[in-house]
Amino acid sequence: MNDAQRQALAERLLALADDELILGHRDSEWTGHAPILEEDIAMANLAQDELGHAAIWYGLHQELTGQDPDRLAFQRNALDYRNVQLVELPIGDWAFTMLRQYLFDAYEMLLLTRLRESAYTPLAQAAAKMGNEEIYHYRHSSAWVQRLGLGTEESHQRMRRALGELWPYVEELFVPLPGDSLLIQAGVFPDLAELQEAWRQLVQPFLAQAQLPLPDVPALPVTRQDHTEHLIDLLADMQMVARSDPEAVW
Amino acid sequence: MNATRPLPNVGMPEDPDYEEKLAQFEARIARGEKIEPGDWMPYEYRRQLIRMISQHAHSEVVGMLPEGAWITRAPTLRRKLILIAKVQDEAGHGQYLYHAAESLGVDREELIDMLLAGKAKYSSVFNYPTLTWADIGMIGWLVDGAAIKNQTMLAHCSYGPYSRAMVRICAEETFHYKQGKEMITIYAQGTPEQQRMAQDALNRWWWPALMMFGPHDTDSPNTPVLMRWGIKTKSNDTLRQEFIDEIVPEFHAIGLEIPDPELRYDEETGHWISGPIDWDEFWRVVRGNGPMNRARMAARRQAHEEGRWVREAMVAYANRQMVGDAVGVGS
Amino acid sequence: MTDTQWPRYEVFKQDKPHKPHEAVGTVHAPDPEIALQNARDVYVRRPDCYSLWVAPESAVFKMTAYELEQDPAWHVEEIPPDAPPQTYLVFTRQHHRRSMVAASHVGQVQARTPREALRRAMEQEAWTARPVYLWWIVPQAAITASQEEDVPSMFAPAQEKTYRDQSHYGGIIFGKHLQKKRQQKQKQPQEKQERSA
Repeated sequence: MNDAQRQALAERLLALADDELILGHRDSEWTGHAPILEEDIAMANLAQDELGHAAIWYGLHQELTGQDPDRLAFQRNALDYRNVQLVELPIGDWAFTMLRQYLFDAYEMLLLTRLRESAYTPLAQAAAKMGNEEIYHYRHSSAWVQRLGLGTEESHQRMRRALGELWPYVEELFVPLPGDSLLIQAGVFPDLAELQEAWRQLVQPFLAQAQLPLPDVPALPVTRQDHTEHLIDLLADMQMVARSDPEAVW
Repeated sequence: MNATRPLPNVGMPEDPDYEEKLAQFEARIARGEKIEPGDWMPYEYRRQLIRMISQHAHSEVVGMLPEGAWITRAPTLRRKLILIAKVQDEAGHGQYLYHAAESLGVDREELIDMLLAGKAKYSSVFNYPTLTWADIGMIGWLVDGAAIKNQTMLAHCSYGPYSRAMVRICAEETFHYKQGKEMITIYAQGTPEQQRMAQDALNRWWWPALMMFGPHDTDSPNTPVLMRWGIKTKSNDTLRQEFIDEIVPEFHAIGLEIPDPELRYDEETGHWISGPIDWDEFWRVVRGNGPMNRARMAARRQAHEEGRWVREAMVAYANRQMVGDAVGVGS
Repeated sequence: MTDTQWPRYEVFKQDKPHKPHEAVGTVHAPDPEIALQNARDVYVRRPDCYSLWVAPESAVFKMTAYELEQDPAWHVEEIPPDAPPQTYLVFTRQHHRRSMVAASHVGQVQARTPREALRRAMEQEAWTARPVYLWWIVPQAAITASQEEDVPSMFAPAQEKTYRDQSHYGGIIFGKHLQKKRQQKQKQPQEKQERSA
């Protein structure tokens, strides 16, 4: 790999890691507050899986750049994070969380399937391992979206509202980073346009049969360098202890 | 086709065969047999178990809150994963315990309703606030350490489902204690601020942890019957003393001081003799006037209320699927 | 609509392919698919698991040895003449040792009702060579099972979470640290002597 490719890959890995860190953080907020005890346990599992994925992606990033995962996770300023806005939005109600999870899980499951073929071996190996967990995530979130979409009038209305709120943020998942074209050429990372089409073919019919038609709302024209105020609040809490003494061993 | 039989409402002292059945029951326990759902048991045995097990279950569930509050602030990826796993275990332990209580013929709805109505007790140690990150380590070491002593004893309990829940919990609880001990050990030799934080956490959690073992034996009316029927095998004071003897040297070894000016080592008995416990504070907190009682219950009520539409929606979907299956309609 | 904690499902876990399924507890769930997922999240947080079964608690017929002894007529029942025979899975517990498990799978019988299934099970010498303290009878039709292809996604991930295992917290930290403290303590009296000299 040449320097430009290495740089592009590092940026891509950071984006993957930040998505998982922030989503895992959001999911963990449900612990102790879920609708039923079994779901406290389920959400805690999801959160651990996602944070585990973040650790793996930060680890691969460290192999390329030497940067410590905990420093990246806990000591950057908000504008330096590269997650999509979809994952930094507050947890909302259970419908919002389940639907956000579904939309992201579908994306991640399809992405990891393609990454198993990556020409960069560490990436392919990591994707193979994570892909298994993601299959279960998709099974879980799709089962819930189905049931809440079709359950009662109230659950249906909440799901429709959630979809309307989430839909503008979905497009950003498929916006390439500046260096992605180099990675696509090298067979390291897939073309997100193709991934988006596969995602649509999976998600649209599934949501349709759960009585959740895709909203006709425009996508927000944002890139991973743009963030909401929600990220500021999230990071203030998340970084509080770590930044109280950045040199301490915790 | 429903194959369950409701638990018989038997075992009352006024039943004609009570004495005979009681003798058989106590002989079974003496032989080390497990009492299972469906077996004859004195009404009082069942009543005591429902009380104990449900309190234990409620404690696990409420206990998720003081630690859960710090998940979002855990300072490294590893600490974050560990804390989520620990709190997840607590939910799981609550789940196993509600299951054991349900085997005695109560529904989880009933038990939860009683907790949220303020009519059920839970371990008052969870009514104290977690004020620093070091509290998380201290809870793991002290509070889970105390819980392990109790749970190890209860694993021998005569009632099958409770014993099995305890064995499963014991297998998982050691990780809670060890991760806490690891954390505090690091902080006690860390930066000056970390050392101060560790000592401060011990100062605040020491006495609540000792109170977890319950009132003194002389003030514990339930203990004799619980010991007679193999539910408890050691008294509150016995367990508390064992715990103090084990843990005081551990804290001293890393340079932390126990916040008890009267604590002294008795050469003759080999025991660490504790100063007096403030039982006024204990009863105040048990009765609902601790620093966090109201907040804990408010959080649980909110989760329960906000989750109602979810629970109902899932049932509605399931019922429609069943009807669909019954009339041969595809889903 | 009454708000419930959902019906209960009994969970049976098979640790490895050659071992029997064991009754490990229950989960609350609104339907069999969620029951299977909840069973995985509640009972497979730590390895091992190869297969998971769930069955509605109301479908499981349970009898203790004590109950059988107390009621010699336990098996008497009206069996509808057109009741079709079906497969019933049989689980037993045959010891009073401390255990996490209520009962283990020993095999299956054909019968028209759970009581008839239990009568048939009690005739199996292989299963009654040692005294049985607890019998569970579960209609095969009531079981929802995980599939072999689910193993990598449902059960293997638990193996990655080593931080959940108490042996992950080795004596390294404790040992090294205590050693360091002892060395520091040994140095101090010497330094004091040197200063006062």
